[in-house]
Amino acid sequence: MLSRVGLKKGRMDWVILAAAAGLLFIGTLAVFSSVGVLASYERIVRTHLIAIPVALLFFSVAWSLNYQVYQDQWKFVYGLSLLFLAGVLFFGVMDKGSRSWYRLPFFSVQPSELARIGLIVALANYLDRRGGKMREFGSSLGALLLSIPFLLLLMKQPDFSAILTTFPVVLAMIFCAGGGVAHIAIIVGYAAVSALFPILWTLLAMSPELAQNPLLGFFAGLSSFGWDTLLFVAAVGALAWFGWFLSVKLYSNLSGVFFTGAALVVIFGFFSGMLVRNQMKEYQQKRLEVFLSPESDPRGAGYNLIQARIGMGSGGVFGKGVFSGTQSRLGFVPERHTDFILAVVGEEMGFMGTGLVMTLYLTLLYRLKGAAQLARDRFGYLLCCGIFSLYMVYFLINFGMLLGFAPVAGVPLPLVSYGGSNLVATFFALGLAESVYSRRYALV
Amino acid sequence: MRATIPAPERLEILWTLAWAAGLLFLLRFVSIQVLQHAHYRELAEKNRTQVIAQSAPRGRIISSDGELIASSKPSFSLVYFPGASVPPSYAERLAAALAGPLGMKEEVLKSSLRRAVTRETPARIAENLSVSAMFAISELKNIYSGIDVITEARRHYPFGSYLSHLVGYMGKMDAREWARYGALGGYGFDSKVGKTGLEKMYEKELRGKSGGIFMEVDSRGRLSRILESRKWVPGADIRLTVDSVVQSAAEEGLRKSLSGRGAVVALDPRNGAILAFASAPGYDPNSFVSYSDEEFPRQAEKIPEFNMAVQGTYPPASIFKIISAAAFLESGRIDPSEKVFCPGYYDAGSRVFKCWEKKGHGRMDFLDGLANSCDVYYYVSGLRAGPLSIEKQARAFGVGRPTGIRLSDERAGNLFGPTRRATRKSYWFVGDTLNLVIGQGETLATPAQMAVMIAAVASRGSLWKPFYVDRVVSPEGKTILSRSPEKTGEVRLRPETWDLIWRALKKTVDEGTGRPAIIKGVEVYGKTGTAQNPHGEDHAWFASFARIGDGEPRVAVAVLVEHGKSGSGSAGPIAKRVMEAALRDVLTPPPPPPAPAVEVSTIPAAAEIRASSGTVRPRVRVSTSPAAMPPVPPENPAPAADEEGDEGRGD
Repeated sequence: MLSRVGLKKGRMDWVILAAAAGLLFIGTLAVFSSVGVLASYERIVRTHLIAIPVALLFFSVAWSLNYQVYQDQWKFVYGLSLLFLAGVLFFGVMDKGSRSWYRLPFFSVQPSELARIGLIVALANYLDRRGGKMREFGSSLGALLLSIPFLLLLMKQPDFSAILTTFPVVLAMIFCAGGGVAHIAIIVGYAAVSALFPILWTLLAMSPELAQNPLLGFFAGLSSFGWDTLLFVAAVGALAWFGWFLSVKLYSNLSGVFFTGAALVVIFGFFSGMLVRNQMKEYQQKRLEVFLSPESDPRGAGYNLIQARIGMGSGGVFGKGVFSGTQSRLGFVPERHTDFILAVVGEEMGFMGTGLVMTLYLTLLYRLKGAAQLARDRFGYLLCCGIFSLYMVYFLINFGMLLGFAPVAGVPLPLVSYGGSNLVATFFALGLAESVYSRRYALV
Repeated sequence: MRATIPAPERLEILWTLAWAAGLLFLLRFVSIQVLQHAHYRELAEKNRTQVIAQSAPRGRIISSDGELIASSKPSFSLVYFPGASVPPSYAERLAAALAGPLGMKEEVLKSSLRRAVTRETPARIAENLSVSAMFAISELKNIYSGIDVITEARRHYPFGSYLSHLVGYMGKMDAREWARYGALGGYGFDSKVGKTGLEKMYEKELRGKSGGIFMEVDSRGRLSRILESRKWVPGADIRLTVDSVVQSAAEEGLRKSLSGRGAVVALDPRNGAILAFASAPGYDPNSFVSYSDEEFPRQAEKIPEFNMAVQGTYPPASIFKIISAAAFLESGRIDPSEKVFCPGYYDAGSRVFKCWEKKGHGRMDFLDGLANSCDVYYYVSGLRAGPLSIEKQARAFGVGRPTGIRLSDERAGNLFGPTRRATRKSYWFVGDTLNLVIGQGETLATPAQMAVMIAAVASRGSLWKPFYVDRVVSPEGKTILSRSPEKTGEVRLRPETWDLIWRALKKTVDEGTGRPAIIKGVEVYGKTGTAQNPHGEDHAWFASFARIGDGEPRVAVAVLVEHGKSGSGSAGPIAKRVMEAALRDVLTPPPPPPAPAVEVSTIPAAAEIRASSGTVRPRVRVSTSPAAMPPVPPENPAPAADEEGDEGRGD
């Protein structure tokens, strides 16, 4: 395997660290530039400068410790993570409509960042233990159930964007562990249905003329519990039964399980969707609307994306120079030091900057994949898969959001964006990957 | 079932997904940052910069004797910069606070403030602030953020309605003007341009270059820093050929005339320079300066925009007899000494044509015929000379053709004669000849045309294109454009003919109908005219020129008084005053007579901002003949304004 991947022997994969350091360097420049005119400039710089050594400390610790420790102590890790995440609901501070932060004297801590690493550890352990039985649906379901408490706690905060980055990681880990593709499809289908209904209702709320259509009007009425709900459930059941009846008559070899499953997925998805809908906060609702039609309100929510793109586009190939981006420094780009940091990089360092960030990110992912493939055990492999997929999800959503392929979900770009907890968690995760890499062939 | 994908391969699938997405992102980056870079850069620039344009002082308009006809005055405008997250009640409070000192309605202020807030652009809330308003606002500035006072140059016409029909007025652009000027650059949607007259014709020269404050603002429209404060460049000054004293005489004369309606055009017969150009009633171009968009059309409707001097066409009546006389003498069929008996009427067979003198003039030769304006003499001679020769002379003297003066909407009048009639496929009757020869019938002419005609007589043949701009002087003091006397034609008559016409015109003034125009010590030549008007009192004409001794004629003037009853009675005295004014340097009564103009005493503290040095340029009063005007001493030009202006400079 060594020769196949072509990695040299070594205690540590320096490329991962170099790529991370490069991203951190670019990110630091962009963050300092974009917050230069803010009143909170000093606080942000101070927090960032504190976070960097702390992150390196976490990296070193994670790298030095044998990762197998976490497998042994997985219950402790999992429990601590849950506790950490649950505690924020009681001790956290309310900020912008969500309770996701612990406020400490000098800085704030976002528990979901570190807890997510804990979840990855727990999932890697569980999927490792399920080793030979991965093709059973129970394995996939078990992994999902393991992550459900996390997702529910995140929904309670609510931290929509954390869900958006965590759920795909769970799926990717099941996939990498060898879970049945059909099982994953069921989970995805369930998630899709539960997401589809809120989207449909939002759409209908945005353009009431669509509700004139009797079918769509019926769907619009489903958003609250009532007789319509029962009717809908009955209709889904009838449709499934009819499909099964038809397939029997046609001598198709689709089993009844398929139809029952499909009906159950739709019905459970529907109820989850209703739950999501009722749980959704107004700003999340707003974000969903913007994703559906970003140009609808140029001064409102869509304005942000347009301004971010103007900033990026105006940078050109070489950019306007660090500390001289007008779009970001004058405040046209929203969330400039967090979610839209890439627009700042694009404006001030141009295509060179964005291209470099992307190259470094892909390099990082490539080396994480390499670390996974080199792992000496399945747990290490799955751990690296989880870390790989976590940063892949960040990469896809953050880039996609800025470029208009994904919703404006408020997902930062780890290592580049400002965010102490995220930085610490990221370096901790990279440390874990390095630990797996270091111990690829030696018994420590 | 299908074989499951082995685990390591699955990670490869995810990795493939990642780099494929990366490729897609890369294409998108190239598209946004490289291909559409220019577009986005422009958007970013627009985002960050706000401009408050400051209009440049327009070039001044100065009469040939140095009077300021139009200048620019510093004016103060109230500007509102939509500030940082202000509560909605802020606009209301601000409007309430401003309404008092500005004397504006609170609702109006509120709506313009709100518009500024929603558009996130700075807006001019009020223009032309009074001094007291400015003091009030400078106090409010400390309480309310976002309001500021800026200085601009505003058109000012010190003499009000003086020379209004030549100068024209200014207003905001309409769609057509925007299409024309917008492309030139430097015009904003609220820029004012010349709408009529000289202001319109010389818009390009007068305009100057607007300045502005280019600001960098943040996303909330708050001022971040001033990028550039560009000073305006004032427009070029226009030196008119019009002499303010002559003009005053003309306007005063018209104002005091019977109907108060009419036109006077005085030319220098040596080059066609306009010495006076009056059309009554006039209007005060100042009244447009401060009107807002909504009010402008209403205000424009109210004014007497009709420029009688070039747009009013009237039968020239008896002053046409000068042309007829030229035709008689040139035809060779008339002996000037031959006498025609005037019984007071002429029997043309089918119809009897009357002489204006019902009693009859008795026996008239050529000189007496013109001097007494005897219609019968002209009927008889006209029939003898033939209508064709008269039409030919009328054409030569420019009847039926615009004079070419640089004013918009000049009318051509109408040339009447057998060839014109023939082109309309109609017949020519004897009665037409009789009408033609005394300037009635279908002949129509504007006062400007008649002025050109009489100037042609005075200059013995030069048909000048009247002009009113002597030169255009750039703010640096360079002459950009100088006058170029231009002829539109030449009337070729035998010298004896000219001599006889001159003698007849002299006799008209000395002994005939033109006696009201006699000026002591001046040779005055003139002809009266009374145009029959079926709609009311007859129109009065007077066309004359004057010279000193044996010199060249120095002034030619045509006067029309609508409903003036008789040329001799109402138009003649005006012509006399105009000629006196034009020749005042020669007449020189030891203490120079107080200029007939009332304007001098009513000059407001003509605060002219010269966007320069700040010193006032001395008002140059050149008291030589307007035609031979010496070069005006170089005036302090140089831009760089003293915005404080020179308020309070008395005269």
